Amino acid sequence: MFGRKDSFSIVNIEKLLKNDFSLLPGITSEVLKEVEKKGVSSDILFDVNLAMQESLQNAMQHGNKMDPTKKVKFKAQITDNFFELSVEDEGVGFDPETLPDPTKDENLLKENGRGVYLLTHLMDEVCYENSGRRVIMKKFFTETKGKRTGERCA
Amino acid sequence: MRIEKKKKNDVSVVKVSGDIDISSSQEVRQYFESLLEENGNKVIINLGEVEYVDSSGLAAFVDILKKMRASGGTLKLSNVPGKVKGLFEITKLDKIFDMVDDEDDALDSF
Repeated sequence: MFGRKDSFSIVNIEKLLKNDFSLLPGITSEVLKEVEKKGVSSDILFDVNLAMQESLQNAMQHGNKMDPTKKVKFKAQITDNFFELSVEDEGVGFDPETLPDPTKDENLLKENGRGVYLLTHLMDEVCYENSGRRVIMKKFFTETKGKRTGERCA
Repeated sequence: MRIEKKKKNDVSVVKVSGDIDISSSQEVRQYFESLLEENGNKVIINLGEVEYVDSSGLAAFVDILKKMRASGGTLKLSNVPGKVKGLFEITKLDKIFDMVDDEDDALDSF
C-alpha cells in the first residue's frame, strides 16, 4: 500500500464483557500495546485510550445500567493506518443529538455530560447504530487530507 | 494515581500524578473535600505529572472548583500537560478554571 510497505497487518480484538469497570485497564492496555507497535504519537495513544475508556464506561453505566444480565460487545481493529472501535450495549439506546451541549455557559459547572462530547471531538469518525446502542469510531494514525474531527460516518 | 501536599505560606500545593479516571477520580474528590474541611481555601493543583484524564476526572475537577467557590476559596491549576490542557479547552472548562503555566507563578499570583 502507498508503494512503501511490503505487508499490511490487521489485528482484531473482540470481547464480550460484563459490566465491571475493573476490566477496563486490562482491555485498554492489550489494545494500546498493539496501537503502540504502529509507532504512533503519544497524543494518538491518549485519544485511543480515552475513546475506549469513555465508550466502555458509557455502555456499562448508562447503557446497561450495570445490570448483571446485560453484556457489552467490544471490537477493536488495528491496521497500519487506523484504529477502529465498536462498543455495543444491551440497553434501551439513546439519541446522541439530544444530549445537552456541555460547552454552553449554563452547563460548564455541571459535573457530567462530557464523555460523548470528548469522543466526538477526539476521534476522526464517530457514528451510532442500533438506536444508539452501538458506537463505532475511527482514529487515523497519520494526518489524512480532508479529514474532519468527529465526522459522522454514513 | 498519587497525591502529595506541601504548604507554602497559607497556600496548599497539591501535586497529583498518574491517571485521573473512573478508578481514581472519587479518591481525588474525597482528598480535596478533606482539604477544604482543614480550611485549605487557597489551593494550587500541580498536574505536571498527570498522564491521563477522562470525563470522570474532569467531573472531579468541576466538583472541587464548585466546593472551593462555595467556601470562598481560590483554586488554581498549574503545570497542566498539553494533552490534558487540550481536554479543558475542547470542553471549554478553560473558561472557568484558572490555569497557570508554572507552580511558582501560581504561588506569586495569590
